[in-house]
Amino acid sequence: MQLDFVNRELTVKLVYYGPALSGKTSNLQALHRTAEPAATGRLMTLETRDDRTLFFDLLPLTFRNQGGLAVRLKVFTVPGQVIHASTRRLVVQGADGIAFIADSRSAETQHNAEAFMDLKENLKQHGLTLKQMPVIIQFNKRDLPDVRSDAEIAELAAQGREPVYLAVATRGQGVVESFVGLLHLTWSALDAEHDLNKKFDFDPEAFLTNVAQKLGDARPLPEILGASVGGALDVLRPEAG
Amino acid sequence: MMPPLSQKTLDELTLGNDISLEDLVSRDGLGEVVKSANELFGVPIRVFSEEGKLLADAAESIELYAYLNTSKNGRAALSEVVAAVKSLSPGPEGEVSYTCVSGARYRIVGIVYDSRQIGRMIMGPFSVNTSDEPAKRLFELDPQLDSATLSALFQKLPRIDEPTLTRVARHLARVLDLLLFSGHRALLTSNMHLASVRESFRELEDKNQKLQVAYDRLKELDRLKSNFLATVSHELRTPLTSIIGYSEMLVEGLAGELTVEQREFVQTIRDKGDQLLSLIKGLLDLSKLESGTMSLRKNNVDVAALVKDVVSTMAPTARKKEVELSFDVERGLPQFWADAERLRQVLLNLTENAIKFTPASGAVRVVARIAGMDAASAQDAGGMVLLGARRTAIEFRVADTGIGIPEQERGRVFDAFYQVDSSSTREAGGTGLGLSIVKRLVDGHDGSVRIEANEPRGAVFVVTIPVKRATIS
Repeated sequence: MQLDFVNRELTVKLVYYGPALSGKTSNLQALHRTAEPAATGRLMTLETRDDRTLFFDLLPLTFRNQGGLAVRLKVFTVPGQVIHASTRRLVVQGADGIAFIADSRSAETQHNAEAFMDLKENLKQHGLTLKQMPVIIQFNKRDLPDVRSDAEIAELAAQGREPVYLAVATRGQGVVESFVGLLHLTWSALDAEHDLNKKFDFDPEAFLTNVAQKLGDARPLPEILGASVGGALDVLRPEAG
Repeated sequence: MMPPLSQKTLDELTLGNDISLEDLVSRDGLGEVVKSANELFGVPIRVFSEEGKLLADAAESIELYAYLNTSKNGRAALSEVVAAVKSLSPGPEGEVSYTCVSGARYRIVGIVYDSRQIGRMIMGPFSVNTSDEPAKRLFELDPQLDSATLSALFQKLPRIDEPTLTRVARHLARVLDLLLFSGHRALLTSNMHLASVRESFRELEDKNQKLQVAYDRLKELDRLKSNFLATVSHELRTPLTSIIGYSEMLVEGLAGELTVEQREFVQTIRDKGDQLLSLIKGLLDLSKLESGTMSLRKNNVDVAALVKDVVSTMAPTARKKEVELSFDVERGLPQFWADAERLRQVLLNLTENAIKFTPASGAVRVVARIAGMDAASAQDAGGMVLLGARRTAIEFRVADTGIGIPEQERGRVFDAFYQVDSSSTREAGGTGLGLSIVKRLVDGHDGSVRIEANEPRGAVFVVTIPVKRATIS
C-alpha cells in the first residue's frame, strides 16, 4: 500500500496468483470488460506470442469516495509456469491482498497445491506468512467436465480460513464477487493496521458497494459478499465484523 | 522511441506517483508528434513536464511577439504572458484558456496518465477568426510601437476556431496516451527483465555458495579418506611383514622339520600373505597418488626393453591360462623421459588385466609405436597456433579378445574401486584399484589413457605418453 497524503491518494496492490493456465488473466480481462471506462485504464499485458503471461498483467482501477480519497487499485497477475519463479517472487512483493485462482478440474488438484505452496514459499522469502496476508481462493472453470464437485469444495472450504469462490472467468461468472471479497478482506486488514476509515472518514461499505456498481454488479453488498463458500464467511460479513 | 532505462522497482513503476513524462516517452518522439499536429493545424504547441521542463516545441516565431520584443514595455508584457501561461494549471477540467495582453489566445491542456497529471501541453498563441480584434491594451503598451503594424501583425497570428482546437487537443491527448502506455509497457518489460535476471542470478549465487560449502566439505572428507587409507595400509603392512617372515622361516624349517601337509599349509599362508601385501601396496600407491606425495623418478626409458620385460614377466601367467601373448615394438622409437618403474607397473597392470579377462585360446597383444598427441584436446583443435604443434608421443596399446568394455563404462573404469560388473570380481579377482592407479600414473606423466573396442571382440587400452614435457600444462 502506498499513501499519498498530499494528493489524498491510496494505492493498493492486489495480486492474482495460481498455477499455469488457471485463468488469472481471464479474471482481469473480465474485470476490465465490466468496469466503467472512467474507473479503469488500459489492461496491460506482458505476454509471450502464445498468450502465456511472461511477466505479469496489470489492470489499474481508480475509485473516488465521497470524502475525496482516491483509491487506486493495481491488480496484477503472475506468470503461472513453474520456470518463472523469480518473476512471481518479484510481482508478489508488496502485495496487499492475494486472489488464488485454482483450476477446478480434478486432474489439476496437484498443480493447485503446488502453486499454493509456491505462494507460501515466496511470501516467506519476503518475510511474510499466509496468516498475515488477506487471501481468497477462487475455483475457476466450473463449466468444464471432470471438475471437483461443489459439495467437495464446500466441505473443504468450511474447514479453511480463506473465503472460497466458484467462477467461470471466461464468462465473467464469480469474477466480481471474488474481487469484491478480496478487496473487502484487504481493506479490513489495511484498516486494522493503518486506521484508514477513521483517518479519511471512510465508509468501507459504501466504498465496496460503489466498486461493485462500477464493476457492473448493483446488488447489495452483503449479497455479493455472501457468494463465497467457506468457514471464514462470517468474519467477512460487514454486520459481523 | 525507447524510453530511457531506469532502475526503479516494480512498485515504483506501477504504484508510486513518481512516474514522469520523460520516463515514458522520449523527447524526440514527443517532438515528432507535436510537430506533425502543428504542421496539420498551424497552432504552436509546446509540451512541458510536470516540473515545468520544456520537452517538445513545435512553434515558429510569432512576428507580433518579435515586434513587441523591440520595445522595453513590450518585452516586459511578454515575459508576464510567458510566466502566466507556464503557471496556469489545467485544473480538474483538464484544460484552461488564457488570453494574453495582445488578445491572442492560449489553451493549456493537462497530459494525464493513469489518472494523474504528468505534464501540460500549451497550445497558442492563436486567434480564433478574422473578427478577433487585438486587445486595447496592446496599443497602450508603448507609444514607440506603431498601431498599424501591431494590427497587421495581429492578423498574421495562427488561426483556428475553438471547436477544431478542442478536437486537435483531444486527438493529441489520445495519441499521447497510447504513446505513454506503450512507453510504460516497454519500461516495465525491460525493468522486469532486468529484475528477473538479477533475481535468478541471486538465486544461482545462493545455490553456488551452498554447493561450494558442500564441495569444500567433500574435499576435506576425501583428504581425510586418503590420509586414513595411507595410515591404515601402512599399519597393516607392519604385522603382515611379520606374518610373512615367520611363515617363511617355518617353511625353511628353522623351527624344526614340518610334515608335508604342514609345509603345504604354511606355504599357503605365505602365498596369501604375499597377495595381501601386494594389495596393500596398491592401496598405499593409490593414497600416495591421491595425496600427491608420490614422486616420479624420471629417466631416459628404452621402450623396447620395457615392453619385452613386461611380456616376459607375464608370459607364465598367459601360458597357464592358455592365452597367446605377443608384442610388437616399432623400430627406431626414441628414448623418452619417464619413470621406468612406474611405466612398467602401468603396462604390467594392463597386461595382467587383459590376460585375466581373456578366455582360453584368446590373444593379448602389446604394441608400442610412435604417435602424435595434440597439445590441445583431441576434440577441439582450436588455438593450435597458440598452443603449439602436435607433440611426439609414444603410444602403448594393450589389446585383448576378452569380454570387452561397453562404451558407457569406459570413462568410469578408471575410478577407484570400480568394476564394470561386480559379479566378475569373484571370478576374476582384484580390488578394482589397478586401473585407477594406472590412470593416475599416466596423468603423472602428462599422458592420457583411453579405451577402444577391439575387433571383432575385446578391448584395447591405449596409453599415450608425450616424449617431452609440454611447455604448456
